[in-house]
Amino acid sequence: MLTRLSRLGPVLPRLLSNPSARFVSQSKPSGAAGSAAVTELHPAAEKAGHGEVNEYVKNPDYHGFSSDPVVDKWNMRLGFFFGISVALVIGGTFIHYLPDHGMRQWARREAERVIVQREKEGLPLIDENYYDPSKIVLPTAGEE
Amino acid sequence: MLKIIVPTLMLIPTAWLSPAKWLWPTTLAHSLIIALFSLSWLENLSETGWTSLNLYMGTDPLSTPLLVLTCWLLPLMILASQNHTSAEPMNRQRTYITLLTSLQLFLIMAFSATEIILFYIMFEATLIPTLMIITRWGSQAERLNAGSYFLFYTLAGSLPLLVALLILQNNTGTLSLLTLHYSNALTLSSYADKIWWAGCLLAFLVKMPLYGVHLWLPKAHVEAPIAGSMVLAAVLLKLGGYGMMRIMVMLEPLTKELCYPFIILALWGIVMTGSICLRQTDLKSLIAYSSVSHMGLVTGGILIQTPWGFTGALILMIAHGLTSSALFCLANTNYERTHSRTMLLARGLQTIFPLMATWWLIASLANLALPPLPNLMGELVIIISLFNWSWWTIALTGTGTLITAAYSLYMFLMTQRGPAPAHVISLDPTHSREHLLMTLHLLPLTLLILKPELIWGWAF
Repeated sequence: MLTRLSRLGPVLPRLLSNPSARFVSQSKPSGAAGSAAVTELHPAAEKAGHGEVNEYVKNPDYHGFSSDPVVDKWNMRLGFFFGISVALVIGGTFIHYLPDHGMRQWARREAERVIVQREKEGLPLIDENYYDPSKIVLPTAGEE
Repeated sequence: MLKIIVPTLMLIPTAWLSPAKWLWPTTLAHSLIIALFSLSWLENLSETGWTSLNLYMGTDPLSTPLLVLTCWLLPLMILASQNHTSAEPMNRQRTYITLLTSLQLFLIMAFSATEIILFYIMFEATLIPTLMIITRWGSQAERLNAGSYFLFYTLAGSLPLLVALLILQNNTGTLSLLTLHYSNALTLSSYADKIWWAGCLLAFLVKMPLYGVHLWLPKAHVEAPIAGSMVLAAVLLKLGGYGMMRIMVMLEPLTKELCYPFIILALWGIVMTGSICLRQTDLKSLIAYSSVSHMGLVTGGILIQTPWGFTGALILMIAHGLTSSALFCLANTNYERTHSRTMLLARGLQTIFPLMATWWLIASLANLALPPLPNLMGELVIIISLFNWSWWTIALTGTGTLITAAYSLYMFLMTQRGPAPAHVISLDPTHSREHLLMTLHLLPLTLLILKPELIWGWAF
């Protein structure tokens, strides 16, 4: 039901207004294809997409940002500088040097060191009584 | 927290006050700087998990990767939509950027909310800018239909959530994520409790989307402009996964029995939507269905509620966010040149755009989960934890990965290989902008291989 109502949306102005108006798609012609009915509404010349002359004819160094060559160049520079040099390089360096969360890397290094040491001394890797039993104070049986 | 939110808010005056010529460069640079500063959330110094806490917001290892992804995506959306919006009237371009910015604002507040009601409000608020982007900037008349599907599917799912949350507030007296863990366990036994359980999850399952309630997604993706598709695939779907992980903790005793049909549906959905991908003719629709398939795996990983399941789900969400967004950008570069999304009409592009074909290859391989990439890590972790739960699941997940590989290759071969069709006479060369866009998608994905613990969530 709802979908039917929404389908009425584009139909209503068609009933009320002059049918020569471009009511199916108000967006730029480059986005208009995809359904055959829509493309037919646009003159063939507009199909090239980005205006009447190809951008590369006006500006051979076109980077895809803007039709103004100066803005195009600076937009490219800003994008590459802040995207690559700042966000990825500085950001990546920051992430690489983040503090060791929960001392996990330290624990790993320490464990490797302890293993080497204990193997050299001929001890088992981990003692059966990890905590000294004499130091553990247990509640008496009656206490719970 | 404010050091990100205030600059994001100030992006709106920037969009309206900067001179017309410099609108796109300024907003791009501004949003990239915000993205840089958002990385500071990754500095996790606390032992409780919560950092940058204020009265209403905070981040923890689960929300941080999603927040950073949100901040990273805004500059990419600006970069991607520059070409096709720059011909529009100035005010519309400014409105467009304002909508994208407000979307980022709502998403930041949704992911960082410590109160579930704030999360809920922001979850709903993201619908508005997205709906506007789809229905105003979409390219065909069907966008209105897609918009109503998008709106009513998500709304119908999330209204029960509001009721369920109010009931929870009544029973526990709080909806704060910081204290809800410590409230007394709910006694959930009656039939109404089971409905309450479904109400809590339905909104997120629709948003994910779960197979069966996924129909809005391909429509919305196909009709949305490029920025809309990007944000929808990369972040908005993840709202569902994030919300589910947050709410699962509260639903404890019931989930064990009630999750069966949903896990089965999610896994069945992987196979089904994968098969649908294999016979798509529409490039954007294919990528959208592949999103549904990947999200099915995420849903399965979350629903079995093991630490590995949660971790795998988060890894896959982040990796899929970058990959699917990259694929949509690639589809858009084709679309801007051939003005068609039909794969048959633009074949053999490798001979015309060799460098773009390299991006296609990398993105397709990421989509099918090539070994060192986080995509594979996420999938494997989820598949293993599902297998541990029940070994029958390997039949579905295994078939799913096989089909994923098949349709990724199908997409790559269809668009890139073979002879170029005769009607493709002159295509614009690729732009530096598009290569920058792809680099900014795929380089972070590659860098995540080196420090995967950033996206491990609670497991780290």
